[in-house]
Amino acid sequence: MLKMHNIRKSYRTDTIETHALRDFSLEVAEGEFVSVTGPSGSGKTTFLNIAGLLETSTGGQYLLDGEDVSGLNDRDRSRLRNEKIGFIFQGFNLIPDLNLFDNIDVPLRYRGFNAKERRKRIEKVLEQVGLAARAKHLPAQLSGGQQQRVAIARALAGEPRFLLADEPTGNLDSLMARQVMELLEFINEWGTTIVMVTHDPDLARRAHRNIQIVDGQVSDMRNANSVAEAATA
Amino acid sequence: MLELRPMLSAIWRNKISALLIALQLALTLAIISNAAVIVGDRADKMKRPTGMAVDDIISLTFLAIPQDYDMSAAVTADMALLREMPGVMDAAPSNQLPLSGSGSASGYHTKPNEEIGGEGANQFQSDSHFINALGMKLVAGRNFTEADMHVVGPNDNYTPSIAIVTQQFADTMYPEGNALGKYFYGGGDDHPIEIVGIVERNLGSWVNWNNAGNVVVFPTLVVGNFKRYVIRAEPGQRDDVLKRVEDVLAERDPRRVFRIETMSHHKARSYAGDNTMVMVLSAVMGLLTFIVALGIIGLTFFWINQRRKQIGVRRALGATRTAISRYFLLENLIIAGTGIALGLAAAQIFNHMMVSSFKQPPLTLPVMLACALILLSVSIVAALVPALRAANISPATATRSV
Amino acid sequence: MFGYYISLALRSIRGTPILSALMIAAIAVGVGAAMTTLTLNHMMSQNPLDRKDSVLYAVQLDGWDPNEAYDSNNQMPWQLTYKDAQALLRSDIPTHQIAMHRTGFTVEKDNSDLRPFTADTRATTRDFFTLFDVPFIYGGTWNADADKSPVQQVVLSKETNDKLFDGENSVGKSISLNGEPFTVVGVIDHWNPVPKVYDLNNGPFNDSEELYIPFGLHRRFEMYSWGNTNGWKNDDSEGYEGFLQSENIWIQYWVQLDTAEQVEQYRDFLTGYIRQQKEQGRFERPLKFGLSHPSEWLVLNEALRDDNRVLGWLSLAFLLVCVVNAVALLLAKFLRKAPEAGVRRALGASRNAVFTQHLIESACIGITGGLFGILLAILGLQSVKHLAMGYIDQLAYMDWQMVLAAIGLAILASLLAGAYPAWRISRTNPSIYLKTQ
Repeated sequence: MLKMHNIRKSYRTDTIETHALRDFSLEVAEGEFVSVTGPSGSGKTTFLNIAGLLETSTGGQYLLDGEDVSGLNDRDRSRLRNEKIGFIFQGFNLIPDLNLFDNIDVPLRYRGFNAKERRKRIEKVLEQVGLAARAKHLPAQLSGGQQQRVAIARALAGEPRFLLADEPTGNLDSLMARQVMELLEFINEWGTTIVMVTHDPDLARRAHRNIQIVDGQVSDMRNANSVAEAATA
Repeated sequence: MLELRPMLSAIWRNKISALLIALQLALTLAIISNAAVIVGDRADKMKRPTGMAVDDIISLTFLAIPQDYDMSAAVTADMALLREMPGVMDAAPSNQLPLSGSGSASGYHTKPNEEIGGEGANQFQSDSHFINALGMKLVAGRNFTEADMHVVGPNDNYTPSIAIVTQQFADTMYPEGNALGKYFYGGGDDHPIEIVGIVERNLGSWVNWNNAGNVVVFPTLVVGNFKRYVIRAEPGQRDDVLKRVEDVLAERDPRRVFRIETMSHHKARSYAGDNTMVMVLSAVMGLLTFIVALGIIGLTFFWINQRRKQIGVRRALGATRTAISRYFLLENLIIAGTGIALGLAAAQIFNHMMVSSFKQPPLTLPVMLACALILLSVSIVAALVPALRAANISPATATRSV
Repeated sequence: MFGYYISLALRSIRGTPILSALMIAAIAVGVGAAMTTLTLNHMMSQNPLDRKDSVLYAVQLDGWDPNEAYDSNNQMPWQLTYKDAQALLRSDIPTHQIAMHRTGFTVEKDNSDLRPFTADTRATTRDFFTLFDVPFIYGGTWNADADKSPVQQVVLSKETNDKLFDGENSVGKSISLNGEPFTVVGVIDHWNPVPKVYDLNNGPFNDSEELYIPFGLHRRFEMYSWGNTNGWKNDDSEGYEGFLQSENIWIQYWVQLDTAEQVEQYRDFLTGYIRQQKEQGRFERPLKFGLSHPSEWLVLNEALRDDNRVLGWLSLAFLLVCVVNAVALLLAKFLRKAPEAGVRRALGASRNAVFTQHLIESACIGITGGLFGILLAILGLQSVKHLAMGYIDQLAYMDWQMVLAAIGLAILASLLAGAYPAWRISRTNPSIYLKTQ
């Protein structure tokens, strides 16, 4: 699904050049659920942005679903993002002025679906996350957990093959966090590849595989169960 | 000024927005200072004294219907009626009406038989009541008498021998100031015309004429099938007289068509172009300043909103309300000052174009500085509203996550 | 997608009512001011004789004072003397030609309650109507002999015919002008060229005349010009005949020359005429004459005054300030919505999509501002019309061309204003807005 080889990313300000990722290589197989951990500033977010085609790498090769995306222009990258990738953020990032229906509508609009198709899909995903009754509510009228479920619904509406989650439970209490996590696992079981950045070792452990990024490189690749031991040790 | 360096770098980070404000102020200053100089010029022009009791005067033009009309007799009869009318101070016939935009002029010389040059003067043909009927002031010499009057046809080859002139014309012809009793001549003519009287001033028929104020009056009645009268009402009686005058004259002789207007109307019409410039430019100046002020308010609000958290932190760290307000006012002042400095240069460039292409007056330093000062104060006042609001941001904002 | 962008734009405008109102007001005031002056300047710059511009010529001759040039743009008098006009009329080169001037008569209708009134009158040779393409409702122009001998015939304007005869066919009926009987031979349709290019003497925006009478009536009625009469020579002529033979200029002269050969011949004719007059001691200045097309005539006569140009430029500068103002406000507004744009980018919107979305929002503000701007311009024109006290009554309205121009200007202004902010937000890196602060 995702194959990165020797990816480099550096940011340049007037005087300093910072290397966020250095010779970063990673493969994620179709249907995998991978958690990504690492200390602050290690390059987790940069990895996520590059994986999600929000940023371009300075060097190296990135194959998404077998397609080399390094040289694509903004239009094609946006299309790939729209069709193949779903995003879930810590801060939910719902558009505050739009009700749930219209929020989920956003990626479908850019996909170019007709009104009927969009309605069908929106109602379906709202049903899946259990918020069908609240389609006309504004995000601010929902609890954090509900908002994150809407965000997940929005990510799923386009039926992406690949879901990127950035601390999806970071702003939620433990009960809500568990619900969200269960939802993600359910989605994964249906075949969607998930890469999730998290601080929480309990969550990281529930993934199939955990990778740790330290100083812009993959420092360790283990199966998920050993993370917990490492974290608790 | 400890704050100055971080402030400048904050402005630099928002340089496009800051530049847009500065640009607006610069353009605005360029426009309003150039508009102001035109407004001032036109206002001065409109304020020129006319030398007449404009507000009390009624002008009347009539066209006789019959082809062979005895104009001389008609004028004599009409004048007798008009001068007797209650509310009328005096009346006089004239070939043309002052301030009306319609008149006649000739070039005059101080020596006989001159062909070239000459001083243009607006000429009126009237009688001994002209001075009083227009409310002019005789400052030297004498008025006309009945004995001076000549009745002539419209194409008679007749040149009068005496004239009353305005002080301005007298001084132009005889700069030493001894014009009374002197003579002047028509172009290529050797017939002397003696200056028997001098009136203080009269702006004449055309307010836009270069020689406006050069006026000569001859004691002549030109006959023909039309005539004009100037009628001066007692103060406050003008509108009342205006209502009655046509009936009085038509009753005596209905075979003619009248046109009656006030001299104030003539004056307003003559200055309509200048007045339009003054009003439109004033409106432009006002609206522009208003728009720019709104823009500054809007943008300062936006900046402050963007920096709510930062302000909260400053407050939490001990900044007083005054310090916060002062910060934003100072920031605004730096931007506005830059804009206005740019505007001073732009105003000069604009004015250069206005002067060279459109014959507008040059921009003077006081006008430009006054405009700059006004604009600077407006921008400070505009920034004051949001800056004071910024001071009310609670220090608790710092601890709240957005 | 376009509909989606429009609905997003309207939602966004409703979401920030004050800021949006401010921007709409800025554009509206800018467009209103610009359109007020541009409409006036547009109307003042029109050439009502555009259709025949290439074949019509205003004729000028320089028979002025040998000592001083006439003070006009091309240093020639605007008008001709009566005797020169009569001499030119004898040429058979032009297809049509007219000598004319404005004058005035008192008008009475026998057996009528109508009060006598004065009417602006044009004394002209008969070709006036064909040369200027003036349409007749009833009848036609007078016969050629009326231009040489006193024939008391008159052509009425539509308005005069309405006033005197309730719009009925009045050909053959009689009215009294200056107490003398005149027979109506024709009634023209409404005809009011703006600017009044055929006679710019009494202000370029005055109405057309109410009556038209033959050029052969001068001696009979001792007519003078109700316009400018200028002279330079102090001659000893006496009486009205003396005036007609004097060097005073007061006659306007136009010719229609359809072919290049005609133009060439007519130039030769004018040259010959001036040479011949020089031999008789007239035309002492260097040989010079003018043949100007209506478009050139309007420029020479400065129908569009410097004041109008100043107002035009100032109001465009005004609009520029309003645009800069809108740029600043739009930038502020769009940057505030940058997180939303970031989310849209993440969800698959391309930069172009974000750019288009925001540009359409600017255009919506622009169109709204433009519509209000048109209202302001109409208001502005009314005020200027009021201030000008009748000088520009003909001009102070917006034709459909100017309404379209106003909308175009508003959209252009708002796109100009929106382009940079929309570009800026479409280029912003979305990832920085997606992280939780």
